[in-house]
Amino acid sequence: MDINLNDLLRRYRSHPFEDYPVETPHTGVVFLKVKEGQTVKGPGGEWLHRPGTMLYVIERERNVKRTTALWSGQVSGIRLDIEGQFVEAGELLFSIRHQLDKEEIIDRILTQVLYILPAPQRARYFLAPEISARMEKQPKEGVSVESGDDVLIMSLMKRDTVISYEGVPGALYKVYFKPGDTVEQGSPLLGICPPDKLRYVQKVIQRIRTEWEK
Amino acid sequence: MGKERVLIANRGEIALRIIQACKDLGLDYVVLYTKEDEFSLHVRIAQQEESGFKKAYRVANYKDPNEIFSVADEAECTAIHPGYGFFSENYGFARRAAMRNRPLTFIGPRWEVIRDLGSKINTKRLAKDLNVPVIPGSDGSIYNELEAEGVAEELFFLQKEQGIQHPSILVKASAGGGGMGIEEVCHLDAFRRTYRRIQNYAKRQFGDEGVLIEQCLRDYQHLEVQLLCSSHAEVVHFGTRNCTIQSAGRQKRVEVAPGFDSAVCEYAFDARAVLDRIVKYSVRLAKHAGYDNIGTWEWIVSRDGSPYLMEVNTRIQVENEISACISRLNGSNEPPNLIRDQIRVALGDRLGFTQKNISFEGTSIELRIVAEDTKRGFVPWCGTITRFDYPDEPWARLYSHVPRDTPYKIPTEYDPNFALAIIWGQDTEQAKERARQFQNRTIIEGKGAGDESIITNLEYLYDRIDDVLQF
Repeated sequence: MDINLNDLLRRYRSHPFEDYPVETPHTGVVFLKVKEGQTVKGPGGEWLHRPGTMLYVIERERNVKRTTALWSGQVSGIRLDIEGQFVEAGELLFSIRHQLDKEEIIDRILTQVLYILPAPQRARYFLAPEISARMEKQPKEGVSVESGDDVLIMSLMKRDTVISYEGVPGALYKVYFKPGDTVEQGSPLLGICPPDKLRYVQKVIQRIRTEWEK
Repeated sequence: MGKERVLIANRGEIALRIIQACKDLGLDYVVLYTKEDEFSLHVRIAQQEESGFKKAYRVANYKDPNEIFSVADEAECTAIHPGYGFFSENYGFARRAAMRNRPLTFIGPRWEVIRDLGSKINTKRLAKDLNVPVIPGSDGSIYNELEAEGVAEELFFLQKEQGIQHPSILVKASAGGGGMGIEEVCHLDAFRRTYRRIQNYAKRQFGDEGVLIEQCLRDYQHLEVQLLCSSHAEVVHFGTRNCTIQSAGRQKRVEVAPGFDSAVCEYAFDARAVLDRIVKYSVRLAKHAGYDNIGTWEWIVSRDGSPYLMEVNTRIQVENEISACISRLNGSNEPPNLIRDQIRVALGDRLGFTQKNISFEGTSIELRIVAEDTKRGFVPWCGTITRFDYPDEPWARLYSHVPRDTPYKIPTEYDPNFALAIIWGQDTEQAKERARQFQNRTIIEGKGAGDESIITNLEYLYDRIDDVLQF
């Protein structure tokens, strides 16, 4: 599928943000470490080994967990009322308004270029052991899949179901989840690039890289 | 001492039954729930009930002990009821509850008892010591593929020696339960692949990749003995159950109490004598282990009437109520409530009755209503239940966390079991007839993501009612 890249880039330029809610991962007593409007940094360094800005500390059963920012951006909607209080799991603390960078824009645009295998159900997903092993041995673009290949394991209602790939053969270009993640129904799991589209995909990437900075 | 407050560390219908038991006993309670369960009835009931304290806490998941203990402290609970599944048979959890700085009463057996009997392997060893028959197979968790293959080979060889025409073995996740993580292997050639699959599954689901290997017995009935014990060395039983009707994944679907009924089925053995024998063996093991709460002894009985102990479930069982339904205390018409009794004895009460006070009357059947496609390997169905109606009869009870006044989306994180129907009849024929009536008058409607109609196992349950108690 060819895309109107100019339109997409214009759209992202006019609103290059995504709001990420920061929620408590579990129960505990929470201590906020940021202020409203503060700019925070995500992980840095060549291997993203430098942690981002400390966001909050949560203490549960005498275990202290320090949570750092996974995205750079600006803090908004901070909940000062919960400072030092016991909170439940999934409690919204604040949001981070993150400005998308070039690589993130590429990722988002590629979902419209690659052949996407979407999640058939809201479930936990794992790569099939064979695919996982192949990906460890070679770069993901070198791992090819074709119809009938067992590519994923869907863990749904405590049962594991092997998901076979049904679609155009091609290189496994993008994995959109981490093993064990719960993925919403319809969200992308894998992005496949058919061999005849590889040049087109590379061209799209190149164009975004060049034009995004303009 | 102040009023006890019980933290209910479970979900679904068992959470509702524990809520009711706490209310009956005049105890406070607090429930946990996950985001996926926020529309479950157990949450709604807890949130809507008037009380001077918060009764429902959202947690990340039901399998994180730190979540449970932190809520227990915040909500000032004094006891934890684990229900079934999750932490109900985890001795480490029970030990932590008892030994932490702010101890909590674990509503279940002592942690030492769970340690000794909660493991299939320990139980097997203990049973062998007491001359209680067990299924041939490995008596320890296996982590090594070559060792596993050796055991498998031996079991195939032994079955051939016995003249068994189609020998097979079961590969089980040691840490599994409730029928999850079990596969049958019919040829040694296929063993390694199955072994690896179960090992991977066990690692993902239970965090322990150990497996057990057992001879697969065919043509058998799956029986259970319901015991109730106290910390005052009291042991009573509430008879037997038959749980042979199971899904392809070996999960129970129709259960009946008592375990055999010679009035409606012919057996090649003295059914009464076999039931007495498994009760006697179960009581022997319970006394030896110093068992002190509710528990179920699971048995396999072959066509020739030979019993083999499978495992002990050191917890309340889903199907506990059919045992209660056929039991009478001191001739009262009101059946006992085993969840109530379980809580009482965990809090230190004496039973208040002996075996002589318990008599049995009638037959009880449990139907597990599940959103699953029984024609396609019992695959779970995902979607929203829009209507759920069932008959209101004095001989039937239904437990469900599905609200009847609003659509309910079945969470994909858990089993698609959504209701339990408990039927009682004067005899087995009447119980079966009533179960069929109940099934016929139950209406379930719903839609999946693709607008397809809900699929449930109601028809399957109806078809299987006639098969109960039969070989």
